[in-house]
Amino acid sequence: MLARSDFTISARITLAVGFALLAGLNCSAQRANQAEFFEKQIRPVLAQQCLSCHNDKIQSGGLRLDTHSGLLKGGEHGPAISIGSAAAGSLLLKAIEQSGSIKMPPGKKLPASDIEAFQKWVRGGAAWPDVSASITASPAASHWAFRPLRRVVPPPVHAAARVRDPIDRLVFAKIESAGKSTAPDADGHQLLRRLSYNLTGLAPTPEELTAYEIDHSPDRYLRAVDRLLASARFGEQWGRHWLDVVRYADTAGENTDHPLPHAWRYRNWVIDALNANLPYNQFIRDQIAGDLLAKQKQDDRYGSHVVATGYLAIARRFGHDIDQDMNLTMDDTIDTLGKSVLGLTLGCARCHDHKFDPVTAKDYYGLYGIFSSTRFSYPGCEPHQEPRDLIPLIAPELAAKRTKEAADERTKLQAQLSGQASIALKQARDLKAAAVPLSTVIAEGEVPDGGARELKEGAKRSLDALTANTGDVLQLSISPLMSHGADSTLVDMTIEEIGGRGRKWSTSDLVDNLSSANPRADRFGNSATWYFLDAQDGFAMLPESMAAVESRGELSAWRNGDTPSVFANSSTQPVKVWTTLAARSFFMHPGQRGPVALAWVCPPDLSGQIRIHGHITDAHPGGPDGIGYRMEIFHGQFGGKPISALYTELGSQLHSQLGARKRLAELDLSAAVPVAYGAVDGLAADAKLQKRGDPANLGDAVPRKFIDLLGGDRLRDPASSGRLELADWLTRPSNPLASRVIVNRIWQWTVGVPIVATPNDFGTRGAAPTNPELLDYLASEFIRSGWNIKSMVRRIALSSAFRMSAVTSAKNGQIERFARRRLTTEEIRDAMLAASGDLDLKPGEAHPFPAESSWHFSQHAPFADEYSTTKRSVYMMQKRNRRIRFFAIFDGPDPNSSTPVRDLTTVPTQALYFMNDPFVHDRASRMAARLIGSKQNDAARLDLACKLLYSRPVTAGDLADMDAYKKSLHRGLEPTAFWSAYCRILFASNEFLYLD
Amino acid sequence: MEMTLEDKGFGQTRRQVIQSGVLSSSLLAGLLQEMLADADITKISDDPLAPKKPHFPAKAKRVIMLYMTGGVSHVDTFDHKPRLYQDVGREVKLDHPEIRNRPGYEHIFLKRPQWEFKRYGKSGTEVSGLFPHISEVVDDIALIRSMQTDHSNHYNATLGMHTGSFNFARPSIGSWISYGLGSFNKNLPSFITIAPAQTYAGTQVYSSDFLPGAHQGTLVVPGSEPIADIKPLVASAEQSDELAALARINSRHLAARDEEPVLKARIKSFETAFGMQVAAPEAFDLSRETEATHKLYGLERGSTKGFAWQCLVARRLAERGVRFVEIIDTGSSGNWDSHGDMMDHARLAMNVDQPIKGLIKDLKSRGMLEDTLVIWATEFGRTPFNNSADAKGREHHNWAFSCWLGGGGAKPGVTYGETDEYGIKVATDPVHVHDFHATILHLMGIDHKRLTYRHSGRDYRLTDVFGNVIQGLLA
Repeated sequence: MLARSDFTISARITLAVGFALLAGLNCSAQRANQAEFFEKQIRPVLAQQCLSCHNDKIQSGGLRLDTHSGLLKGGEHGPAISIGSAAAGSLLLKAIEQSGSIKMPPGKKLPASDIEAFQKWVRGGAAWPDVSASITASPAASHWAFRPLRRVVPPPVHAAARVRDPIDRLVFAKIESAGKSTAPDADGHQLLRRLSYNLTGLAPTPEELTAYEIDHSPDRYLRAVDRLLASARFGEQWGRHWLDVVRYADTAGENTDHPLPHAWRYRNWVIDALNANLPYNQFIRDQIAGDLLAKQKQDDRYGSHVVATGYLAIARRFGHDIDQDMNLTMDDTIDTLGKSVLGLTLGCARCHDHKFDPVTAKDYYGLYGIFSSTRFSYPGCEPHQEPRDLIPLIAPELAAKRTKEAADERTKLQAQLSGQASIALKQARDLKAAAVPLSTVIAEGEVPDGGARELKEGAKRSLDALTANTGDVLQLSISPLMSHGADSTLVDMTIEEIGGRGRKWSTSDLVDNLSSANPRADRFGNSATWYFLDAQDGFAMLPESMAAVESRGELSAWRNGDTPSVFANSSTQPVKVWTTLAARSFFMHPGQRGPVALAWVCPPDLSGQIRIHGHITDAHPGGPDGIGYRMEIFHGQFGGKPISALYTELGSQLHSQLGARKRLAELDLSAAVPVAYGAVDGLAADAKLQKRGDPANLGDAVPRKFIDLLGGDRLRDPASSGRLELADWLTRPSNPLASRVIVNRIWQWTVGVPIVATPNDFGTRGAAPTNPELLDYLASEFIRSGWNIKSMVRRIALSSAFRMSAVTSAKNGQIERFARRRLTTEEIRDAMLAASGDLDLKPGEAHPFPAESSWHFSQHAPFADEYSTTKRSVYMMQKRNRRIRFFAIFDGPDPNSSTPVRDLTTVPTQALYFMNDPFVHDRASRMAARLIGSKQNDAARLDLACKLLYSRPVTAGDLADMDAYKKSLHRGLEPTAFWSAYCRILFASNEFLYLD
Repeated sequence: MEMTLEDKGFGQTRRQVIQSGVLSSSLLAGLLQEMLADADITKISDDPLAPKKPHFPAKAKRVIMLYMTGGVSHVDTFDHKPRLYQDVGREVKLDHPEIRNRPGYEHIFLKRPQWEFKRYGKSGTEVSGLFPHISEVVDDIALIRSMQTDHSNHYNATLGMHTGSFNFARPSIGSWISYGLGSFNKNLPSFITIAPAQTYAGTQVYSSDFLPGAHQGTLVVPGSEPIADIKPLVASAEQSDELAALARINSRHLAARDEEPVLKARIKSFETAFGMQVAAPEAFDLSRETEATHKLYGLERGSTKGFAWQCLVARRLAERGVRFVEIIDTGSSGNWDSHGDMMDHARLAMNVDQPIKGLIKDLKSRGMLEDTLVIWATEFGRTPFNNSADAKGREHHNWAFSCWLGGGGAKPGVTYGETDEYGIKVATDPVHVHDFHATILHLMGIDHKRLTYRHSGRDYRLTDVFGNVIQGLLA
C-alpha cells in the first residue's frame, strides 16, 4: 500500500488518462505489468537457480527451463507447468515448494517470497516475454524498445472525414478499437490558446487574438502554427523542455554551490538551436562533441559548436574538493546521457551489471573512459575557488592573438589612467588637507546599527542660527565605522534661510533631481548648489551618474565605482534591493576607505543666518556596525578660488577618466576572449572498472566502447577521447532508441502527454508505449525528414488529434478528449508578467554574479544569491543547492537530476501563493492600471482582462460574475482597488491556470 | 482560541478549524457556509496527504526532530571517556579522513574534554556539565553512543542525516514519513522545518525531491511571518469577498467541464489554504500558553527568538497533527563547528538545553511523549584529538558520535553502543545513519524496506540498500 508508483499518485496521471492514448492502455498496461513481473521476480531466479542445469545444452531430467515451450513440454516427469485450472498443481511449483518427491533447487529451498512469486506467475498464465525465444538469448530481441523500428502503415478508420494527417489514422484507430469516438475540434479560442502555450509558453496577445478572430480564411490556423513556430518564443519554451532533461543549472552543486558565470551560453545555445531548427542528430552531435566538430569544420559556427559541450560540463560536481569525487560527476554524466538520448538508466550499471536491462558494467566503464578522457571546465570549489579550463569561443590561434591585443590595450589604459589619477588624486588630497584644519565642525556623532539620530543630537553649536555667506560650504560627511558594508544611510536634512526670502533647501529636493541633467541646481535658479563628494582620500566629485540602480528605474545615483555613492528612491513606494529603501528618500553610502559627503554651497544672493534640521538613519540594519557623521562649514577660499570651484574642476577630471575605466572593466569582464563552460579532449585513456562502484577498488581497464546492446563498437581512434565516434553511434539511424526517445518527447511537448509514460526510461522497467504503432511511425517519419523537429511539431499541431476539444462531455468515457493541463511554473510567472505589461521579452544573458576575484564561498557561507528579473522564467538563475521557492511550489524542474515529465500537483501552498504573495498582488495592481488606462468602462476592461488571461472575449456570464462581486462587496471600492482585487481573482481562477 | 483535541494526539478536522475560524471572524461566515455546503467539492479521492495506515501497529504517531548544526562533540556531551582526562597529550596514530594529507597534522594528540560528567536519574546515564537540564530527563531517552556516518564534510553528513544519501539529492526523512503516513490536519502542512537559517545542505534537508510535491517540507523562519504567503495582504472581509467571487467563477467553469476532479481539487485547495491562514497563526500564537509553560521552556513572553520558541511551537504543531516537525538550532555559520575553541559549545548548549528539557517534560505531562518520537541528532561528532595537546578546538569526526531518541516507543533510560576508551572508534553495537533511519521508521510503524518510490527505473528507499532496525532501542 505504501509502495505506490508515481503513476497512481500524482495529478499528471489524471492528465495521462486523457486523449487518444487511453485506448489500449488497460491491455498494454497489463502486459507491461506482466513483463515487469517476469523481469523482476521470475527471470533472475530462473537464471540464478535453474538454468545452469536446465538450458539449451544441459537438460537435467530432460527438462529445459529457458523457453516457454520447454516449460510446457517438460521432462521425464511430465510438463513443468500447466496453464489454467491445473496451474496450482504444476510440477515446477511442487518442486520449489518441496511438497513432493522432487525438491528443487538441489540442497536448498528458495525464499518464501520467490516461491510466492512463482505461484502467482504460473497461476496468472506464466507470461513469457517472447514465446518463440530462449530467455538466455539476447534480450535486445525480446524488449520492444530495443527492436528495430517497424514499418507502420496507418490503417483505415471510420472517422476518415476527420483525417488531416496519417497520424490521425493511427490515433483514431486506437480510439475506435476501444469502441469510442473522438471529440470534435476545439473552439477557435481554446485551440489558439492551447497552441500558443504549447509552442511558445505564452498566451496569444490581444492583438494576435483579434487578428485571428477577424481572419475568416480556411488556413488561419495553419498560419498561426507557422507564425508560432517561427517566433523566437518557440525556442524559449522548447529549450526549457530540453534544459529539464539535461538538469541545467547555473551553479555547480558541490558543497558551496559555486556559480557558473558562463553556463548561460549553453542555455541560450539550446534555445537558439531549437529556433534555428538544427536537425536533432546534429543537435546531439554538437552537445557530445562540439569542440571536436569545431576543430574539424573550422566554419563560422566555431563558437556555437564549442558552447554546445556545456551539455557535458554542467554535470553536477560533488563534495568539498571536487576532483576527489570526479567519479560521481562521471556517473552523473553517463546517467544523464543515457536518460536524455537513449532512454536508458545506464547509471544502474555503475556498481554491477544492470539488473533489468541488458547493460553491463563493462558497457558502463567503456563509456566512462570516453568521458574521463575529456576535460570538463572547472567551476571552482571551496579549496580551489578559481574556475579554470574554460573553453575559448574562437580557434586557439585567434584566441592567442586577441588575448595579446587585450593585454596590450589594458597596459596602455592603465598607464594613462594612473598618470591622470595620480594628478587628480594629489589635487583632491591637497584640497582636503588644506580645507579640513580650517573647517568649523557644527555637529558630529555616530548612528548605531539600524538606528536614527536627529542632527541636533550631535550639535557642537546651535543649529538654529548659523552664519552663512556666499561661497561658504556646508558639508555633511557619512563615514564607515568598522566596515563600510551595509552602510546605506538615509539623510533627511533641510537648510532654512532665516528672514530674507525664507527659502528652504532640502535633501528631498534631490530625490527627483538626482537623475536630472544638472543635479546640482536648486529650486531657486542657482545652478551649482549641491555637490556629491568622494571624501575618502581627498575631496572630489563623484564622477559617475547611474540612471537605474539594480535595473530599478526609480533608483538613481552618483558614485565612484560601487561606493562611495549617493542615491535616491523617487518612487512613492519603498523599494526592496540590498535593503528596503524608504519611499521618496535620499541616501548616502560611504566608501571602503572613508566618507562620502554632501555639500551645500551658500548661493550668491544669500548672506545671513540659516537654520539646519533633520535626521540620519542607518537604512541597512544587520551590518556589524552603524555609521559616523560630521557636519562642518568651510569658509572662504583656497588658493584664490572658492572651494566649490575646486570641487567642479576635480569632478570634471575624474569624469574624463570614466571612459577608460569602463573599457578596463570591460576588458576584465570578458577577459578579451569570450569563453564557454564546456568540454575538450583531455588525456585519452581507457578507464578501469570500479568494483561495486568504488573508485578505490579498481579492476581491469575496459576498452572505450559503445554499449553492446546498440552495437558495442570499439574506438577506431583511441588517441582521441572517442566522443566524436560516440556522437555518431548515438545518432545513426540503426539505433532505434535515439529516434523513439525524441519523437516521444516531441509528442509529449506538443500534445502534453507522452506515448511512453516514462520518457527517460525505455528499458524493461519503463512503461510500454500506449500506441506503439504511432511511436514507430513518428520515429521513421522523423528520420526520413532529416531529424527535423519543427516539421514534426507542425504535423502534430495540424493534425485532428491535436485539435480535439478538451471541453465536450466525455459521455462516461465514451468520447476521447484532449487532456487538459495545468500551466507550468514558468508559464504561470510569464503569463502574469505579460498580463501586467511587465514582461521583458529580450533574451537573458549572463547573470549578475559577483566578480570571480571576490569569490570565497565555503560550506559555512555558500553561494546563495537570488536575482530578480522581469525576463522570461527560462532566463532566471537556477541554483542547485538552494532552489528558488517559487519553482518548488509549482513543481519546477529538478536542477540535480533529469526531469522527464513535470509533476503538476495541486496543493494549498499554491493557493496561498495566489492569495497572498506580493508578486501576485503587484502584477494585479499593474494589470489593473493597464485596464483602467486603456479602457473607459468596466465591461470593456473585463473584456481586455479575459483576452489577456483566458485568450477569449468577455461573455455575459463573466459580466454577471463581476456584477455579483460588485454587489457582494461590504464596501465600495474605487476603480484601482476594485480592479486590483478582480485581477487577483482572475489570476486565481481555474480558467487561467488550465489549458483546455 | 485554544483548541481542544478531538482524540488524543490528533487535532481537529479541517472543517472544525474552518468553523472555529468562522467563530473568530463572523465576516467569513457566508463564504464558508457556501464552501462547506458543497459536499461534492470536499470529497476528493486521491489526496496524497490522506492519512495512511502504517505497515504494522506502532506507538509513535509523529516526530519532532531536533537538529544541532555543525557537529556536536560527543566526548564533551554524552560520551564520557575518563581515559581522555588521564592520557591528555598522548600521541595517537590514525588514518583519519580529516587528518590524512593535511599539513600540520602529521602528529595528533589526545585532547581533554573541558566539562566534567556525572550520573543522572535512575538509569545513571552520564552527561556532561554542558547539559544541566537535559540531565534531568535522561530516564526518558534512549542514548546512542555508537553512531557512525559516511562522511566528514558538513554538506555530505548533513545530507546523509536527512536523506540517507551522502552525495545525491534525495527526499528528506520528513518527506518520506509524510509520504508513508499522510497527515492528520488538512489545514497545516504534514512536514514543517523550523530554522532560523539554512543548514549546510540548503533546501535539500526539507525537500521532497522526486516524491510528490505535497510532501515537501514547509519552511518556518522564526519571526513575524513564519510561513511564506500565510499573511493576507488585504483585510479579511475583502479577502472573503474575493474568494467568494473566485468560487463563483470557478464553479461556472467547472460545470462546463464534466466536473473534472483536477479542477475540483484546485477549488478545494483554496478552501484548505483559507483554513491554513487561520490554523497556522493560531498554531504560532503562544499568547494562551501559561506562565508555567513559558517558564518550563525558558521562554520570555512575546519573544519569537531562540530554541525555546522553536520547541514550544514544535509541540503546538505536533499537537495539531503535523506529522513531522524538524527544528534546527543554527545555520551554516556560528554553529557547533568548534574548530577554534570548544568553549563555544557552552553558548550553543545554553541555547538548547532548557528548551529541550521543557519539550520532553511538556510532552510527558500532556501524555504526548508516548506517541511522539523526539529525535536529537547532529551531522557527526568531533575528534577526541587534535594536532597539538593544547589546541582549543576539535575537528570533524564521523567515526563515532552520539544521538538520542525520546518517547514514541524508544526504550527509556537505555544507553546503546559504546566507543573505545578514547571515543575514537565504535567498540560495540555500531549504529550507522541508515540503521538510525531504519529504527526511526520502525518506531513509526514503517518497514524501511517496504517504503519505496519508483523513480527513473528504480525503487528508492530512505535507507538505500542498507539499514537494520536496532532492537535494543525499542521499548
